[in-house]
Amino acid sequence: MASEPGLVRPAAPLDRQARTRRTRELSDGHFALLIGLPVIAFLIAVVGYPLIYSIWMSLHKIVFFGGYRATFAGLDNYASVLHDEQFWWSTWVTIRFTIESVLLTMVLGLLIALLLNRRLMLGGLIRTLIFLPWCVSLYGAGLMFAYLARSQTGLGTAILGLLGIDATTDFLSGSSIIEVLAIGNAWTMAPLVAMFILANLKTIPTRLYDLAAIDRLSAFETFRYVTLPPIRFSLFVFTSITTVLSMKLFDFIFVLSGGGPGTASATLTYQVYKRSFKELNLGLGSAMSFYLLFLIIGSTLLLFLLWGRKEKPL
Amino acid sequence: MRKSGPWLTLATLLLLIWSILPIYWMVRMAFLTPAEITQFPPPIFPTRFNIASFFNVLGFDHTLADGTMVRASGQANQVLRGLVNSVIVAVIVTVITLVIVVPLAYVFARLEFRFKNLLLNAVLLAVALPPVSTLIPFYAMFVQLKLAGTLTGLVLVDLTLTVPFVAWMLIGYFRNLPPVERLARIDGYSRFGTLFFLIVPMAKSGVAVAAVIAFLFAWNEFTFALILVNGTTANTLPTAISGFLFQNPQPSNLAACIVLTILPPGLVAYFLQRHVAEMSLVDPVR
Amino acid sequence: MKRREFGLMTSALALATALPFRSAAAAEDFKASSGQPIYFRGWQFATDVVQSNVKRYNDTQAGKVDYATVTGDYPAIMEQNLMAGSELDVLYANPSSAVRYYGGGWVMPAEELPNIEEIKADFLPQFLDAWSYDGKLLGLSYFASCRGCIHTNLLAYEKAGFSDKDFPKNWDELYEQVYALHDKGIETPILPHWFGEYFGISWGFVFEVLNRGNQIADPRTHKPLLTTEASGAAYKTLAAWKKLWNSKLVPEEVMTYSEAAYIDAYASGRYVFSPQQIYDLQVFNKVGRSQIAGHSTILPVGDHPWGIIDSALYLMTKRDRPDAVTQDVKKFTSWYGYKDDTGKVAIAERWVQENMLFSAYKSVMDDEKTAERVRKAVARPDDYKTVLDVYKATPFPAGIWKVVWSEEFNAYLKDTLANFLTQDGDIVATITAMNDKITELNEKYGI
Repeated sequence: MASEPGLVRPAAPLDRQARTRRTRELSDGHFALLIGLPVIAFLIAVVGYPLIYSIWMSLHKIVFFGGYRATFAGLDNYASVLHDEQFWWSTWVTIRFTIESVLLTMVLGLLIALLLNRRLMLGGLIRTLIFLPWCVSLYGAGLMFAYLARSQTGLGTAILGLLGIDATTDFLSGSSIIEVLAIGNAWTMAPLVAMFILANLKTIPTRLYDLAAIDRLSAFETFRYVTLPPIRFSLFVFTSITTVLSMKLFDFIFVLSGGGPGTASATLTYQVYKRSFKELNLGLGSAMSFYLLFLIIGSTLLLFLLWGRKEKPL
Repeated sequence: MRKSGPWLTLATLLLLIWSILPIYWMVRMAFLTPAEITQFPPPIFPTRFNIASFFNVLGFDHTLADGTMVRASGQANQVLRGLVNSVIVAVIVTVITLVIVVPLAYVFARLEFRFKNLLLNAVLLAVALPPVSTLIPFYAMFVQLKLAGTLTGLVLVDLTLTVPFVAWMLIGYFRNLPPVERLARIDGYSRFGTLFFLIVPMAKSGVAVAAVIAFLFAWNEFTFALILVNGTTANTLPTAISGFLFQNPQPSNLAACIVLTILPPGLVAYFLQRHVAEMSLVDPVR
Repeated sequence: MKRREFGLMTSALALATALPFRSAAAAEDFKASSGQPIYFRGWQFATDVVQSNVKRYNDTQAGKVDYATVTGDYPAIMEQNLMAGSELDVLYANPSSAVRYYGGGWVMPAEELPNIEEIKADFLPQFLDAWSYDGKLLGLSYFASCRGCIHTNLLAYEKAGFSDKDFPKNWDELYEQVYALHDKGIETPILPHWFGEYFGISWGFVFEVLNRGNQIADPRTHKPLLTTEASGAAYKTLAAWKKLWNSKLVPEEVMTYSEAAYIDAYASGRYVFSPQQIYDLQVFNKVGRSQIAGHSTILPVGDHPWGIIDSALYLMTKRDRPDAVTQDVKKFTSWYGYKDDTGKVAIAERWVQENMLFSAYKSVMDDEKTAERVRKAVARPDDYKTVLDVYKATPFPAGIWKVVWSEEFNAYLKDTLANFLTQDGDIVATITAMNDKITELNEKYGI
């Protein structure tokens, strides 16, 4: 049993006297500077530099073949992205994939958390197994769902075969590939969400449930008035996190469908990869990646304005 | 707590199936013989447990019961090298991430200073940055700095993923700890003393979860590894494994490798769930 | 046998021309001397074999060759590495990529090897031609094969009441038979070459158009040659594809397959016809590996050949390195890509034995051991001749592959064709767009 954190008192430091004598304390600002500056500097160097490099590339036309040449192109790349049908298609795919992923993840995460909050037999084992999907790498998950959903090697066909039905289940088709991807994505993310919601649920005193029972609240009312309020803010935070993670997801899609069939599951990340990396059209790829970044930031801002603003941390 | 009934059991069972099924489908492939893998419709259970693949991917020949020898996979030395590299990278990234992020998150969570919100937003921006858009700049930068194809380069890139994400997570967590700073000062703790002797022990569950998240990010990172260390001596396990996807089909070897990659995180999952109960004492995200 | 005579004659010729070089070759020293590592990279195919070959070189020739595989979009990743001047000395490449790398100034042609004349004399002429650019041979032979010959599952074919004499002789007859087979109750008569790799759906289109008798671009000027008339090869190919797609006989998921999945799908015995690699005949006929072992054959050459030349070379890079290392690179490439220190084309011969990868060298292909290997892989004795005939007749799309924009066009083709199918594209518009793309690429590179 862990002790109450507020009561944790470490053994008194040996040099207490020396410490008390030290009267001058670092101010908040100085201490923050001391801790924060090296980190911020590191982040600026290794995140800021590539970002600025990206901006530079997006403003240039870059050719490698027959000697490297970069010519300034202004906003041409940004303009040509907007005229690119593939870009608009990919934007739509990204939005559809993200909405499905986030809804599924949040519902599943909540369900898992509510379930794990009950006292279960073999609780440790069950929790381990339910958290396992989050530990599986995204490329591993991509392979798993590819083999699972494919009609040639998949579970659907196997079950039909077992029942003696000579038919196949073709989930990796243009019409359902995004749903397969969203399900797989939710499969990997839901345990993380569940873990944090569960931590919140544990803070609800059990007597509140006893009171709810005395007041003869229905199960739904209990959920709404007892369970929901303390986890609302977490729900908002994780809706934002899963939105960001879904929009920037690449390896899972790369391994599972390769953007296919055709371009049915070519999300913006896949489109950027194709432009920048396979076609080495670095200017266009960079410009497109900034639209993706705007989309990510825009959606989280929108979430905040529509929802997050109203939620107060407890 | 409230009574458990048949519905609860059913729900638990369904969630377990949901969580395990994709993993099972892959694990079972590791035990299928090459002939069974091409069967149509595919078999749901392996008929005999063919463990040759596990030996093969680690570089050993394996003789089946009927005397046929299955040769070691040619990918084995890269898988082994990848395994070692992945462990090195994941451990170093985890340690550095914690060293950087714990003080950082503490500062952001509990102290007030100028430009705080601006800097906080910069961290969040780093979370939002998609790896595909920094892939080429990183490659170009690393080629110039002679970091392409090195573990150092990979550690640097992984840190750009773990530091912002873990910081984001821990800031919320620290914000919720009881206010002990004033008491600490009276007790004669310095700023650093407060952090290391009071805050960190109080937050050990949150820090443990943060460590796990950093470890998993680094262990599972694929996109950058594919571009930066693919085909070099700094190859990690994910890229070594993706070699099984191409040209020469050996699905059972591929599956055996995937099982290998799940084992360490599986232990981690066990560890993680134990900490959830302790984390619950404070609200992690605020 | 005509082939044998031809072989004998050319070998005699080779011997004659090779004589002056023999002394040089014998004196040739393959021992590495710089003490520096040589970086050898390839895609993942039978890596255990490659590894033991490299080990033999390192053990016997004091070499320090570092071998590893590169996965993913191989041509793009290698181009990136070449551009960056990464640690890379010898690499696998398809001829189309080789031309681009050479055009980019990143690789040195095989002409720089001391015994190049002897090597060239041993080349089968069609490969010497396919792999030469600007009159220079770009690399040495890794394998030389045929992709897109029509593998046929005799088990299902005969069950549906067909036999050898019904074998389709051209693509039109093949598609007719697909629907006839479906009428006889076979759910999935064909697995078309539509998988998701860079050598998948686009190559499927290229070989069908070539087999039907048209070029996609002019072999010399690289001007687009596709026509939009209904009798043209491109039109007929796309029309046949559209009909097949709309008939729902092919699962859409084939477009997401890796090559491994594509091979396994046919090996499951669900399909009757499938354009595949010729060397995979030995996979499909291997007991314990395939559900149709002993019952898989390929269609003989009919009115036209089947497939296209699918081949790969060992290329040497031109990265910045000391001369002594470059000398070692040449020694290793020569040892590995042609004759080793014992005077045998050992690596190529081993590929034939292990995976039935054919070689561009006459001395390997005329070898009795090679014939023996092919006989072992085929379902029926007569198939041996079919394999060699199909192999010999395979065309090469020089118009689009012997040009620096080949990979760019290939990537374009892959997307265009996939969209044509999934979005019910217009045939004429699609062909016109392809021609326009070629013109655009020609302008871009000043061709």
